[in-house]
Amino acid sequence: MQAEHETERHPALRAATELSAIIGADRLRTPEGREALAADLIVEPRNADELSKIVFKCEVDGITLAPLGGARTLAEIRRTHVTLGVSLARMSRIVDYEPEDMTVTAEAGITLGALNQALAANRQHLPLDPPDPSSVTIGALIGASKAGPLRLTEGGVRDLMIGVRFVGHGGRIVRGGGRVVKNVTGYDLMKVMSGSFGTLGVVIEATFKVRPMPERYTIAMLSCRDPATAFEAAARIHDALPLIHLEVASPGIAQNLGVARDRFGVIVGFCGNRAEIDYQSDKIRALAGDAEVEVVRLASALRLYQRLRDFTLPVPGISARIATLPASLHRSLQDCAAEFCAHAGCGVAELFMPGELAADEAAKLVARWREVAAVARGHLRLLSAPPAIRGGLDFFGAPGDGVLALSRRLKAAFDPVGIFNPGCFIGGI
Amino acid sequence: METNGSGASPIDEHLRAELRAIVGENAIVQRTSELKVYECDGWTIEKSRPDLLVMPRTTAEVSAVLKALHKRKIAFVPRGAGTGLSGGALPIQAPVMICTSRMNRILAIDLANRRVEVESGVVNLHVSNAVKADGYFYAPDPSSQMACTIGGNIAENSGGPHTLKYGVTTNHVLAVELVLPDGGIVELGGPVEDRWGYDLVGALIGAEGTAGIVTRATLKLLREPEARQTLLAIFPDVESATRAVSATIAAGIIPGAIEMMDRLIIRAVEAAFHIGLPDDAEAVLIIELDGLAAGMDERLVRVCELVRGCGAREIRIARDEAERANIWQGRKRAFGAVGRLAPNYATQDGVVPRTRLPQILRAIAAIAEHYRLRIGNVFHAGDGNIHPIVLYDERDPDEVRRAIEAGRDILKACVQLGGSLSGEHGIGAEKIQEMPLLFSPDDLMVMTELRRVFDPDGRSNPNKIIPTPGACVEVTTPHRQAAL
Ligand SMILES: Cc1cc2nc3c(=O)[nH]c(=O)nc-3n(C[C@H](O)[C@H](O)[C@H](O)COP(=O)(O)OP(=O)(O)OC[C@H]3O[C@@H](n4cnc5c(N)ncnc54)[C@H](O)[C@@H]3O)c2cc1C
Ligand SMILES: Cc1cc2nc3c(=O)[nH]c(=O)nc-3n(C[C@H](O)[C@H](O)[C@H](O)COP(=O)(O)OP(=O)(O)OC[C@H]3O[C@@H](n4cnc5c(N)ncnc54)[C@H](O)[C@@H]3O)c2cc1C
Repeated sequence: MQAEHETERHPALRAATELSAIIGADRLRTPEGREALAADLIVEPRNADELSKIVFKCEVDGITLAPLGGARTLAEIRRTHVTLGVSLARMSRIVDYEPEDMTVTAEAGITLGALNQALAANRQHLPLDPPDPSSVTIGALIGASKAGPLRLTEGGVRDLMIGVRFVGHGGRIVRGGGRVVKNVTGYDLMKVMSGSFGTLGVVIEATFKVRPMPERYTIAMLSCRDPATAFEAAARIHDALPLIHLEVASPGIAQNLGVARDRFGVIVGFCGNRAEIDYQSDKIRALAGDAEVEVVRLASALRLYQRLRDFTLPVPGISARIATLPASLHRSLQDCAAEFCAHAGCGVAELFMPGELAADEAAKLVARWREVAAVARGHLRLLSAPPAIRGGLDFFGAPGDGVLALSRRLKAAFDPVGIFNPGCFIGGI
Repeated sequence: METNGSGASPIDEHLRAELRAIVGENAIVQRTSELKVYECDGWTIEKSRPDLLVMPRTTAEVSAVLKALHKRKIAFVPRGAGTGLSGGALPIQAPVMICTSRMNRILAIDLANRRVEVESGVVNLHVSNAVKADGYFYAPDPSSQMACTIGGNIAENSGGPHTLKYGVTTNHVLAVELVLPDGGIVELGGPVEDRWGYDLVGALIGAEGTAGIVTRATLKLLREPEARQTLLAIFPDVESATRAVSATIAAGIIPGAIEMMDRLIIRAVEAAFHIGLPDDAEAVLIIELDGLAAGMDERLVRVCELVRGCGAREIRIARDEAERANIWQGRKRAFGAVGRLAPNYATQDGVVPRTRLPQILRAIAAIAEHYRLRIGNVFHAGDGNIHPIVLYDERDPDEVRRAIEAGRDILKACVQLGGSLSGEHGIGAEKIQEMPLLFSPDDLMVMTELRRVFDPDGRSNPNKIIPTPGACVEVTTPHRQAAL
């Protein structure tokens, strides 16, 4: 029969037919926007049990799947489509929020923006701040271990996630951790799932520690002639004060943020009571050397912070994240010769190379950046590249053999059939 | 006397000779009388002696030792200082114990990057002491920090009073060198902040020695806060003290530490150290604020207002370092003070959401009454991490049984209140039977699969954390070797 022949040729069609029978056709749809770059078919389960059935079925039939939020990361890293994209758009409730305990449990489909909106009623927030939080789901936040300027004091997903539920191989619904802020009961599945890029299962719910919003948030902007002055001033300030974030931006980016013109910008975020704000502002001026200092407060500080957090390359080009020893970052960034926004206190920076590079040039550039990172005992991960050249680029690079062997064993243990977002993580996992 | 719950020892002359060749004669202990020291950790209810103890000095020696054991399929148990409180270093069908006490060098201090690299047998406090003069510290500060090792801290994911603000061990370890149970050496993580690929370091921390032996670690250092204020608040009842904990944190103030002691502990501490705690106080809180000197007074005034508003009848503020040390001495040596009240005690480590502290303290009081036991509470109140100290006398088998059952009831109450079995001491041998209260068979299976990634044959510290059918022995009375 014609129809049968069609489904034979298109695994997505076959999957669609069979999954419809299990969970209903209204749970399936065609991919939209960026999703189309990563998956053939989108499924939107309504609860853990439906997802469990889907995963079970996929494993039996060897259907590949990948959890997706905005599909931003997935569209960048996947070379071939998975059959099924799992959207958690219909699993986006806040399950439990206890302001006094300062913990929140939410389904993974909720966006960071929506979650923080709810927490803001109690002057609390989840201090993880990738660009554009209103379009980042908690699932994507965890999967790609996203972070922003606040990582300096708050750490990353791994430091704030205290409980997790995910659907793993065989459709098992698995829980790790709990709802208490300190917990060593059982193995730390939160760490396993954070930054696992959908390769070990689908996170459906997570519990986080939340924080009080900073009091009297203030930013000091320094504009410096050369990178050495900027990094030295940043280091002096970091050494003297308990900051909440500390960025150094190259001239192109400093200008875009409105921090400095033709100069390197240092953006210092801090908070506290009145006496502390005054003391810190004075101290920063004293430590700034001959850099010009401007202090902005409250609403203006927040607006600048949002521009800083949301900055992405406005034109086609390559962006990457480099991690080095903090004291080596300045030198490494010089060697990379790109525009950058550095989280100076952490030794992490986003690199930007605008322009239309040919595939081989791009590969050479990334290889050179990776060498620079390795010299500083670190590594580099690509964040985005133009569609035309993505295919030839290795987004993650490969860590050493010992680590890779353990990583393969971890993947095999959690995904023996190899259905979860296969083939695009470190070492081709 | 039979050791180790197993039959004939698998350790033969060949193995002894091979181990001697690796570590040398004086790094092996095999005389029963000398092994007695190693028959338990700080969880003294159960005892079991290893057949042999090895004390390697280097990663290469650890690797060679594990290869020798791997060839023969012999299980082993890692041990640091043996201060663990959940029987983590108790050998259960693990004939060989490997102790890291001789691997105690601080390898590199890198202040510019706020990193320190240590061998796993380094004592926790030695790390902070090494960088103190330069104004840095290593944040996780278990009350046992004068003795416990970084390797033990990594295995248990240890915390301490100051982890309320600064986080526990896993938030401060960037890299580890691990010798896998087959003897292979692998470097996990790195000195930089971003993790590369899976967070294997995170997966290993808290694995309680079931993933091989950690030989080195790269730790993060923090800058010493510019100023500190330590206060002691005295309350007429436990409830108002717990309210003060919530009120302070709800006001957006995260102190460096908030610790609580109840009446039994207050009296024991006072009897031992005479620090001037009132005899009729029902609860005290130690609150330590840290940060910039500039805003400290304002913050202190605010906290005092909040605490007084919750019913504190007296607040004492440490005027100098000596007074601060005096306040902390009462807290850090509370366990020692309790040691004078009864021949033995067992410390529990449940956690509840902070707002459930009043309920759990009431539940503990009821359990104490039911089992006719004395139970004191000294704990990390800011984290909701309780430490009921159950007093007993090991010469009275019925009291031992009641102490064990009371401990279990407390853990059940924690779980019922939305909490967990252990905040920082680990599951070990002690709480293994309680794991199903919290986790489903699927959860436990996945955790087992994770463990097998590191240790496919289950030879590194077997019979810990996850109950395995058949291997577990119901603990109702002291077993293995009676604690006589
Ligand atoms: C250093 C610092 C200091 C701060 N100080 C203060 C302060 O003093 N006072 C204060 O009030 N806040 C403060 N905040 C909080 C900050 O203003 C909030 O986090 C706010 O949410 C950020 O808003 P945004 O416009 O950047 O929107 P985003 O960060 O992008 O996220 C909020 C977005 O989510 C969107 N959204 C809302 N609901 C949903 C939904 N259901 N689904 C999808 N999207 C949704 C909204 O449209 C909004 O655009 C501070 C934050 C930081 C980091
Ligand atoms: C008085 C007192 C107070 C305490 N206070 C606290 C506190 O405030 N916070 C807290 O968290 N804990 C506390 N503890 C518990 C204990 O000190 C910690 O669990 C500590 O981390 C154990 O370290 P250790 O070196 O003694 O390890 P051990 O007891 O020797 O071993 C603990 C576990 O670690 C494993 N292990 C040890 N070294 C290694 C290694 N190199 N590689 C792999 N596995 C290894 C062992 O197999 C075992 O499972 C306290 C204990 C006492 C006695």
